Amino acid sequence: MKPLLQLSDIRKSFGAVRALKGVSFDLQPGEVHALLGENGAGKSTLIKVITGAHSPDEGTLVVGEETLRSLTPSKARELGIACIYQQPALFPDLTVAENIGLRLKKTGAFARVNHAARRKQAEELLKRIGADLSPDAEVRSLSMPEQQLVEIACALGSGAKVVIMDEPTASLTQKEQHLLFAVVRDLRKSGVGVVYISHRLEEIFALADRVTVLRDGESVGTNRVDDLDEAAMIKLMVGREVAQLYPPAEGEAGDVVLSLKNLCCAAGGVKGVDLEVRAGEIVGMAGLVGAGRTELARVLFGITPADSGEIRLNGKPLTLSSPREAISHGIAYVPEDRRRHGVILEMPIAHNITMAVHPVLFPGTWLRFKAETELAKDFIRDLGIKAYGPDAPGGSLSGGNQQKVSVSRWLATKPKLLILDEPTQGVDVGAKSEIHKIIRGLAKDGLAVLMISSDLPEVLGMSDRIAVMRGGTVTAVLPGGSDAHEVMAAALGHGGKEVA
Amino acid sequence: MNGKYSREISVAAALGLLLVALALFAPNFYELQPLLSRTTSQMPALVAAIGITLVIITRQIDISIGAQFSLCGVVAGLVAAAGMPLGVAVLAAVGAGAFLGAFNGLLVAWLGLPSIVVTLATMVTWNELLRLWQQGRFMNLPAGFQWFGLSQAAGQGVVIGVAVALLLAAAWSMKNLAAGRRVYATGTDAEAARLAGIDPKWTTFGVFVLMGALAGIAATLNLVQSPQVQPNAGDGLELKVIAAAVVGGVAINGGRGNLWGVLLGLLLLANVNPALTHFKMEPYWERAIQGLVILLAVIADGMKRTKKAA
Amino acid sequence: MTAAKSTKAPFFRHEFVLVAVIVLEVILFQALGRRFLDGSNVSNIFRFSVEVGLLALAMTPVILTGGIDLSVGSMMGLCAVCFGMLVKDASLSPWVAAVLSIGIGTVGGGLNAFLIARMKLPPLIVTLGTFSLFRGLAEALTKGSKSYSAFPDSFLALGNSTVAGLPAQLWIFFLVAIGIWLLVHRTTLGRSFRAIGYSPEGSRYAGIPVERNLSLAYILTGAVAGLAAVILVARLGEARANAGIGYELLAITAVVLGGTSIFGGSGTIAGTLLGFLAVAILNNGLKRMQDYEIFDKTIASVSNEMSGMLTGLLLLVALAAVPVVKAITARRAKS
Repeated sequence: MKPLLQLSDIRKSFGAVRALKGVSFDLQPGEVHALLGENGAGKSTLIKVITGAHSPDEGTLVVGEETLRSLTPSKARELGIACIYQQPALFPDLTVAENIGLRLKKTGAFARVNHAARRKQAEELLKRIGADLSPDAEVRSLSMPEQQLVEIACALGSGAKVVIMDEPTASLTQKEQHLLFAVVRDLRKSGVGVVYISHRLEEIFALADRVTVLRDGESVGTNRVDDLDEAAMIKLMVGREVAQLYPPAEGEAGDVVLSLKNLCCAAGGVKGVDLEVRAGEIVGMAGLVGAGRTELARVLFGITPADSGEIRLNGKPLTLSSPREAISHGIAYVPEDRRRHGVILEMPIAHNITMAVHPVLFPGTWLRFKAETELAKDFIRDLGIKAYGPDAPGGSLSGGNQQKVSVSRWLATKPKLLILDEPTQGVDVGAKSEIHKIIRGLAKDGLAVLMISSDLPEVLGMSDRIAVMRGGTVTAVLPGGSDAHEVMAAALGHGGKEVA
Repeated sequence: MNGKYSREISVAAALGLLLVALALFAPNFYELQPLLSRTTSQMPALVAAIGITLVIITRQIDISIGAQFSLCGVVAGLVAAAGMPLGVAVLAAVGAGAFLGAFNGLLVAWLGLPSIVVTLATMVTWNELLRLWQQGRFMNLPAGFQWFGLSQAAGQGVVIGVAVALLLAAAWSMKNLAAGRRVYATGTDAEAARLAGIDPKWTTFGVFVLMGALAGIAATLNLVQSPQVQPNAGDGLELKVIAAAVVGGVAINGGRGNLWGVLLGLLLLANVNPALTHFKMEPYWERAIQGLVILLAVIADGMKRTKKAA
Repeated sequence: MTAAKSTKAPFFRHEFVLVAVIVLEVILFQALGRRFLDGSNVSNIFRFSVEVGLLALAMTPVILTGGIDLSVGSMMGLCAVCFGMLVKDASLSPWVAAVLSIGIGTVGGGLNAFLIARMKLPPLIVTLGTFSLFRGLAEALTKGSKSYSAFPDSFLALGNSTVAGLPAQLWIFFLVAIGIWLLVHRTTLGRSFRAIGYSPEGSRYAGIPVERNLSLAYILTGAVAGLAAVILVARLGEARANAGIGYELLAITAVVLGGTSIFGGSGTIAGTLLGFLAVAILNNGLKRMQDYEIFDKTIASVSNEMSGMLTGLLLLVALAAVPVVKAITARRAKS
């Protein structure tokens, strides 16, 4: 059969970062083809190439009959490619019928809107996917999965032959997942090709016909799902040897710095976390996206305060209700979203570095520029930040150096506990190993480090102990040097046959 | 979801209460002729309120409405004083309004400047230009201009008729024309609108032009009610109609609201002053009450939002 | 292009352009107007515009945080009326009344602060509401028309006398300017205003008390509006509800003209002072143009209207210049 979509040897670089280094992929009519890979393996870049958001540097795309070098969003839509994102791009103030109508039919500005026809169309589409939604409901009143169903209805209504689903189950309940799976199977039956992206192996076994694994921007193989078992799949995903890349652990862990008992926060979805982090120790925190790791960090940093449970720092119980309070107790948090929360791009790096230490560095609120510059220079030297000087705006630095600035800001507070959230996301390889050395060095100096990472080799290579989160709680604490399969199995909630 | 129309209902209730109180304690509020005159005098504001509603739904603001209104009135008056027929004067006012609106729209939609500062600047520019040019002179209009040359009652009927027709047309278009839906879509989420093939810039620009044109129509509806052109007729109009929109449930951050709520809001605010007079209270409180009402409406919106977020 | 160049150059260029505009204005008015650069006129330029200057100074921190305060002019009206009542109806000493009036401004600023920083409502619509509320209260308190006058000479001296060769109120302006300059450029609070303007979320993550600092910016603006009202009353010898009408626009114009980004984050007090000077000289210079006519009037006789109009246009040009220059340089960089 002729494939709906065929990509050959797609390459794409962003500056010095090579996101895709020759990916080939094909999609047959009536199949569910899973795309599997760790964070940063190149999945989202590949999707953006297919939907026309990025044009590849090299390689060709064949869509149906047409061979192309690249796509634009409107061209992709025209060729019947639709994408359902994790965060649906709908109009919250408009009704379901209207959202579908706006998407599907382009009219002149003064064309009359036929509400009855729109409603009927929406009703039919929703019925086809078995969604029990009223076309008159306002989208803002729908849950996330219901909004995804609206997106799927749009895709179906536009006559899409290729439907891409990006982590569609990330925020769904078990029941909603079943509904979604039924829809996917229906799509398959009607001859639509589905590209299905997920971290959850059990879903891939339950749903997919074939699976392509991406690793470091390359496709490492396409297999029939029936030919693989879980272990084989994890091996394909993790692949590389991890041992030598990381600085070795040194010294012994000291006293317990942070201890959590049955920590809960309903708003953040954190449920009964028990955890200890000792001085001089790096505790890696693994888990899937949405497992509650960042949410736990936000609780510990006072952004979304805990409802119940106990936080002790150096044995003293604490309540943390604002970042300011957390900082005063010696907790530092290097956030995941560097651009929004970490570094203020327009401000000089010296100002960025001193931002969290205003009360200490500038007692009596008067700025002391000399002290500020000295401090910034120290960090620029110690952490090897590549910038022309303390006055360089954060935005003029590369991602890795921005991250070092973010880390500097928190080291300046002389914390007892350092929480790092995805410390090397979007950072090139060279800077990555420098950041690893810095983190190890901090632990050696007696800092307690909690490092959240979705980069499994990083967790395995850096951690003295590995805590695995799943569904808002810590499900396992494994010793450092554990096997990748064990960690993955814990993160996935081993088994995986619960969904049929 | 307790009621999509909760705001409309509560404003209607407040208005009803006010009217009942007036009926009980100040029945002369309902004398036909003064009531009709008062209603007619609110029609220009109603037409301007239609415009500001569209602007706010698009997630913008226009505080130059009053200045546009004054300027359009003077333009129409000059054309009429030059001996042109009524129709030409009306067209001149609408054209001048559309031009002034296009000026705002250009700066906001294509240069991406914040509408509040742009329209603050155009408000002052037009107002001062007008003062400079007219020196506060009242201009006499040719006979046959007042009440469109009809009897007062018929003229009042035409004014009310035009305003109500515009309201109905606008309400219908906002619901049933693609353009109307685009206004909502742009105000809800400009980025999502772009993805759905709507050009938010053209939509925004169009709304500002329409706002100006409506200010022109409003100015003519005001003009025909007196034998003279007042060069400062639009002073404070912007606040009155923004207050009406906010009170009527138009969300200040775009995407939500409808004209029926705005109509109720305007009626409520328009009756504050007559009510003050009829209850033998001081009318000087009007502006303060207007400000208070705006604040209460935003606070109500804000509390609704936080409740939803929690 | 080096990174150093990209950060420093626009800053200097902007203030340079402003100085050029001011010099141009001075040359123009000196050439066309009557006795523009007379000693007494130069001191008048400042005497008549100190109130706007004060508002512009206090508005700068607010705009740095990415906010705006439209209520300052109305606040002046309210404070002026309260001052009049305190002196005339309550028979307080004008100096006590002045302090109380500044206090009233502070409370009004506190209302803005509470609604904006605490309840997280949009500054634009909140201050549009208080713009109406404060002016409305001033009108209600004076029944629309009552004005207070005949204040003691010792108090009127604040607005009309000369101290060490300069108008008395100019010394107060200098003090406030130095204070706000120190605040914005030399304290952690000023630093945090910028950080909040660039990224309110990022500031919170860095442990900056965003709510408190944002509140302080609006409270300060209210207090300074109260001070400006007192000075205005001392200069005019009269307290009325219409005091300070339209001053918010002049203040915002001076700030934006001075290079402070309306989106928050970047800006300097020096820029605001230059922007204020440009507006003030324009205003005064037109008053000296008795030999020229527009619409059959001498420009001097309609100088208020002219300067209002030109100020509005100036603000539009200053606003539009940023994106236009950006677009042109981007196009040039592409080709």
